[in-house]
Amino acid sequence: MSSPATTVQAPLSVSQANGHARCKIAIEQVTKRFATDGPATAPVLGGVSLAVRENEFIVLLGRSGCGKTTLLNIVAGLEHASSGMVRVDDAPVTGPGAGKGMVFQQSALFPWLTARQNVMFAARKRLPDRVARTAMADELLDLVGLDNAGDKYPFELSGGMQQRVAIARALALDPQILLMDEPFGALDELTRIEMQNELLRVWSARRKTVIFVTHSIWEGLMLADRILVLAPRPGRIVLERQLPQTRPRKRSDPELIALYDDIWQSLQ
Amino acid sequence: MAENKLPRLAGRTSQGLIGVALLLVFWEGAARFVWRDAQVLPSPTQCLMAAWNYLSPQELARHLGTSLARVLGGFALAALAGIVLGAFAAWYLPVARVVLPIVDLLRPIPPLAWIPMAIIWFGLGESSKAFVIFLGAFFPIFTNALRGMGSVSPVLLRAARTMDVDGPELLLRVALPAALPDIVTGLRVGLGLAFGILIAAELIAADSGIGYLIMQSRETGQMGVAIFGVIVIGLLSLVCDGALSVVVRRVGGRGALG
Amino acid sequence: MTMLPSTTVPSSRDPRHTPAWRSWSDPLLVIAVVLALWQTGSTLGWLQTVRFPAPTRLAQSLWELIVDGYPQGVTLGTHFAITMQRIVGGFLAAVALALPIGWLIGWYPALDRLTGTSVAFCRSVATLSLLPLALIWFGTGEASKLFLIGYGCFWVMLSNVIAAVQQVDPVLIRAARTMDANRFDIFLRVVVPAALPQIFAGARIALGVGFMVIVGAEMIGTIVGLGALIMEARTFYRSDITMVGMFVLGALAFAIGSGLEWIEKRLMPWHERVRRSGP
Repeated sequence: MSSPATTVQAPLSVSQANGHARCKIAIEQVTKRFATDGPATAPVLGGVSLAVRENEFIVLLGRSGCGKTTLLNIVAGLEHASSGMVRVDDAPVTGPGAGKGMVFQQSALFPWLTARQNVMFAARKRLPDRVARTAMADELLDLVGLDNAGDKYPFELSGGMQQRVAIARALALDPQILLMDEPFGALDELTRIEMQNELLRVWSARRKTVIFVTHSIWEGLMLADRILVLAPRPGRIVLERQLPQTRPRKRSDPELIALYDDIWQSLQ
Repeated sequence: MAENKLPRLAGRTSQGLIGVALLLVFWEGAARFVWRDAQVLPSPTQCLMAAWNYLSPQELARHLGTSLARVLGGFALAALAGIVLGAFAAWYLPVARVVLPIVDLLRPIPPLAWIPMAIIWFGLGESSKAFVIFLGAFFPIFTNALRGMGSVSPVLLRAARTMDVDGPELLLRVALPAALPDIVTGLRVGLGLAFGILIAAELIAADSGIGYLIMQSRETGQMGVAIFGVIVIGLLSLVCDGALSVVVRRVGGRGALG
Repeated sequence: MTMLPSTTVPSSRDPRHTPAWRSWSDPLLVIAVVLALWQTGSTLGWLQTVRFPAPTRLAQSLWELIVDGYPQGVTLGTHFAITMQRIVGGFLAAVALALPIGWLIGWYPALDRLTGTSVAFCRSVATLSLLPLALIWFGTGEASKLFLIGYGCFWVMLSNVIAAVQQVDPVLIRAARTMDANRFDIFLRVVVPAALPQIFAGARIALGVGFMVIVGAEMIGTIVGLGALIMEARTFYRSDITMVGMFVLGALAFAIGSGLEWIEKRLMPWHERVRRSGP
């Protein structure tokens, strides 16, 4: 059963979210200026606020340079905001790690470790027992559809397979949230679509709160619960749309096509 | 990586020069106050003074000129032979079949090991030194030219063919420029080697040149002049390397090195 | 001298289909022809015996070197051992110094900016030009040779270690940070393995440089060692010994290079080999 798409005029504020489902990630008035920016330049991010519910799949969409990757890095704790705050489970984010799994566009797999060893690396603090860790890694590799690639090195795997390993590795953290920075951007179109379906399948098996960054409108429409479009300098949210809950979605769905037009317009 | 906290002084080179200056100061201090034996390790200023006193400008120029002529002569020949042979071997398979085995057999032999044989063949004069310098520079230039020409993107060649470019024109106007980065690498490596071989040859069997000068200075106990000679040669090879890059950029244009 | 075992026939042009066995039979054929021509030339007297000893003569001399030795009693094995001792000694010292220093310089950009010019200059100083100085400082014994080899190896190794550390892909470090890695963790488990291939390549090149230096260093002031051998032999018109010595040196360089490549493949199977240029 699908509910009609609800359109929200302004971004969901933190207090509103607290009234509904639990707010997993709270982004409060985050601003970011680069050290090289002069006082007259508009900031990379200008007071962005966003409340993400638990197990919600959020897509950040925008052109290159609109600050979406910067925002993701700030949520991950890899970068610091110039002002404002990010909270995960009400605890302020001070640094990377601590349950914030991340998948990058370049798979960032360690080339000197096999696929299995890469996945095991993420859990070395969480599961000190090697046997348990190996079993967990195999289970995750199975989940992402790579049950006999465990002993292969990254250079022996295709781009799509590498990204699957990267996802398995991020999941091996048993993370609170999953942050994905254009993970399928380097793949060809067909592999990309395949990976989107794979991601949805994995996500339905291991529900996590996800923030997914992309510049592909269709990718966002296929994956998201909620899409946010960002515009550059100052980086800010210019459009927010709730998507119909049913998945998998069809490109021929008129609702989606209408959404596509809205988003396209907002990107001009 | 540790984050840089030092304020940005005017550019990388000036900071490097500050480093050099610090090094010289340290050397000066150590030589004057710790060793205090100008026979073992003269300070920079003592080296300069020794050079000034015992070496007339004409003498220095003569030795420099001789060394430079030797190294550039051998290098130029090696560059010509290496690039031409490498290009032909990459282009025409029969040439490769004949040339490559011989090159592969001779290449591992360290260049300096040719010196005794060169003396047997050419005597103790200029030709023997030129020969060894030539050999030393030839192999890296050849190998890199071969690789460069051999790995020209087939797409480029096919595109050129659709524009009616073929045969020698294809070789000269498409393949050679495309191979330029590799060729230049070979030239720079060859030039560096050539300097090393030059000095060794001049130490062993010469009566002129900077290497000979250094050897002489040792025999007359002029440490300062010897160190001066070492530094001069170092600077000379840096200058030549820089000149090579400039020449390549002039000849090939800004996009040449990709 | 490069450490590449061999060059491959390039294939940017459409290759004719040649059967695989020709890739080794062809070169052998060429070499055989050259040797045959050479031998014929010597036998027929076209080539002077001193300038171009016949291949058969060379084979004899090789045997003589192995059994009797040249000068009398100093066998090929002895020369070889001495030369290798010198190379390995200087090389290990250079590596031991270059690793920590190179790491520091590569890790701290400020240090790199400060030392960059000095390192570049010291690297461009022809190592053998220091030979007379080394003789004064360390005498004519082993120390001077070890110093020279160490000097030559050090600067090459240093440059490569610096590059290795600087070229670690930052995304790998970022990924490790998202996986709860502290600074020590990152250093040991990410930077070190990531830098290893380049460090190894640097070691390979440095060994090659050491090899070249020792040959020159042994030509002055010593009569034991492969470099000394070929120089001494010339003085007594034993050009056949000289030639044999040359080929032995070449074979040695080739063996060391191949050996190191083999070790590299075993140690780092995950590293796709990219052919490097020159020494």
